[in-house]
Amino acid sequence: MANANGGAYSYSLTVFSPSGKLVQIEHALAAVSQGTTSLGIKASNGIVIATEKKSSSILVDDSMLDKVAVVCPNIGIVYSGMGPDFRVLIAKARKSAQAYWKMYGEYPPTRVLTQEIAAVMQEATQSGGVRPYGVSLLVAGWDITRGPTLYQVDPSGSFWAWKASAIGKNMVNAKTFLEKRYNDDISLEDAIHTALLTLKEGFEGQMTEKTIEIGVVTVPTTAELEGRQIGDRPKPTFRKLSEEEVRDYLAL
Amino acid sequence: MSIMEYNGGSVVAMVGKDCVAIASDLRLGNQALGISSNFQKIFPVTDRIYVGLPGLATDLSTLRERFRFRVNMYTIKEEREIEPETFARLVSSTLYEHRFGPYFIEPVIAGLSKTPSGGVEPFIAATDLIGCLNFAKDFVVAGTASAKIFGVAEGLWEPNLEPEDLFETISQTLMNAVDRDAFSGWGCMVHVITKDRVITRTLKARMD
Amino acid sequence: METSFALTGKGYVIIAADTTAARSIVKMKVDADKIKVLSPHLLMSYSGEPGDTIQFAEYVERNIRLYQIRNLYALTPSAAASWIRRSLAESLRSRNPYAVNLLVGGYDTTSHQPHLYWIDYLGTMTEIPFGAHGYGSYFALSLLDRYHDPEASLEEGLSTLKRCINEVAKRLVVSPDRYTVKVVDKDGVREVEL
Repeated sequence: MANANGGAYSYSLTVFSPSGKLVQIEHALAAVSQGTTSLGIKASNGIVIATEKKSSSILVDDSMLDKVAVVCPNIGIVYSGMGPDFRVLIAKARKSAQAYWKMYGEYPPTRVLTQEIAAVMQEATQSGGVRPYGVSLLVAGWDITRGPTLYQVDPSGSFWAWKASAIGKNMVNAKTFLEKRYNDDISLEDAIHTALLTLKEGFEGQMTEKTIEIGVVTVPTTAELEGRQIGDRPKPTFRKLSEEEVRDYLAL
Repeated sequence: MSIMEYNGGSVVAMVGKDCVAIASDLRLGNQALGISSNFQKIFPVTDRIYVGLPGLATDLSTLRERFRFRVNMYTIKEEREIEPETFARLVSSTLYEHRFGPYFIEPVIAGLSKTPSGGVEPFIAATDLIGCLNFAKDFVVAGTASAKIFGVAEGLWEPNLEPEDLFETISQTLMNAVDRDAFSGWGCMVHVITKDRVITRTLKARMD
Repeated sequence: METSFALTGKGYVIIAADTTAARSIVKMKVDADKIKVLSPHLLMSYSGEPGDTIQFAEYVERNIRLYQIRNLYALTPSAAASWIRRSLAESLRSRNPYAVNLLVGGYDTTSHQPHLYWIDYLGTMTEIPFGAHGYGSYFALSLLDRYHDPEASLEEGLSTLKRCINEVAKRLVVSPDRYTVKVVDKDGVREVEL
């Protein structure tokens, strides 16, 4: 098939199989389930997202590895799956958050940013010459309209809000564990501990501040919000825990 | 001849106690010739936000349509009503997108913001034709009679006016200012935005 | 010089436009019809830069017709006027803008109301009870301020129009001597002799 547009190979790789499945998306999900486990728990006064950080060799400087990323002062993301794909998505998400800030003078609500990322991931399932992103994401953030929210985004581009969820290698077990442990009025401190306990299930090797990453969303008080003047920088509501903080939580 | 003065028209907005007011004249002209005495320059954005668009009338219509489009898209995408400050930033961004071929409009925005504790807070702002925002705490003006409105407003406005007093203040300010401006006048329209409702009144003015 | 008038009355809009096509100081044609019938209940007078006028009026005419063919019903006067205004406003900021002034008058068959819109080459649009373009407007508008009656019968409306035409004939140095006059009401569009 030698024609001007490159023949059959220029078609999208994601074509429906006769049974109605998009096999490439299922393969992408398989890639995700090979990745290290990540999880997120929504608490009554915040959210925690956490992940296991595994390096292939002890010679790798793991302080350089970042699996929990800050997108903008109110939103953070953790992933399971392919690291390089995640970096691309984070770059797009950060750019989108800044574009939103330029237009509206505030950072996007979690849902809007999640939708934006999901749209990028969906496009890769329908365009020619590309493959789907090999990652699942947990997007945690705070905004004035919906408060703290936790979303999961999959390679297909579908997304849902969760009270608690897990992705990656150990997701089935982790989810079962979370279902047992979760209740609606869990505090952020308890949620962090639950997150660590969940990760401990099926953790390979030693759990240390070097092999765990944690990000938290905190909810600002009404007093903090009321005092805001036009032009003030918003106080960050998402932050990554430092190695010292992670060590302290592990010690408890 | 300045493009900003081609069609004439003026807008003013003022802050009151838990309320804001925005008012404009109703003239549309072609330089000195009057075309219409019922040309509205203020439009609702949401139930609690109004925007006034004095300047070149063709751009008034175009911007009104653009803002309507962008606010509708915002409302659908975000599943919430836009806040006055966010709308003001949107206005500014829209105008600055055309920095080197601007719309000849100097928008005035008035609205009530929702506070985190559930109350309302008055908000007013104005921008120049390329979107430089001015957040004022008392009043903002724009249009061919802007200098005159500033003068009267400086003398009449006081803090914490109740809706009816604010109506009187903004009406007197605008009416007396536009009477000294050849390009503004031919009737006025005033909106007072309060927590529960918007009071809209049309004022009769000198027709010369 | 080019002049056009329009006024509304009880259930109708009258539009009148002079019939001269001039180039510089020379009359090239004295029987030009500068009022287009855009749809069964819609009229549009056009004046301005020769060439632009016909080109733009035909562009509008064909597009309004296309809408009617596609959707099996005509645009309302307000929708048509908005579309025309937008075309002019977009043209204004293009490399080669149309310099055309318009009066768009129609009868809205959905609300049974006459509507008249004044549109200039910049894309300025306003709904008016009466209006005019060209040098004649300086004489006609003050007369219409005095004599226009939104409740007037067609006969009364036409006599008000005659006042305007006579005044322009009397006072304007370069006054046109013939006009086409068209009326739109619930029965549609028709040309009338004064």
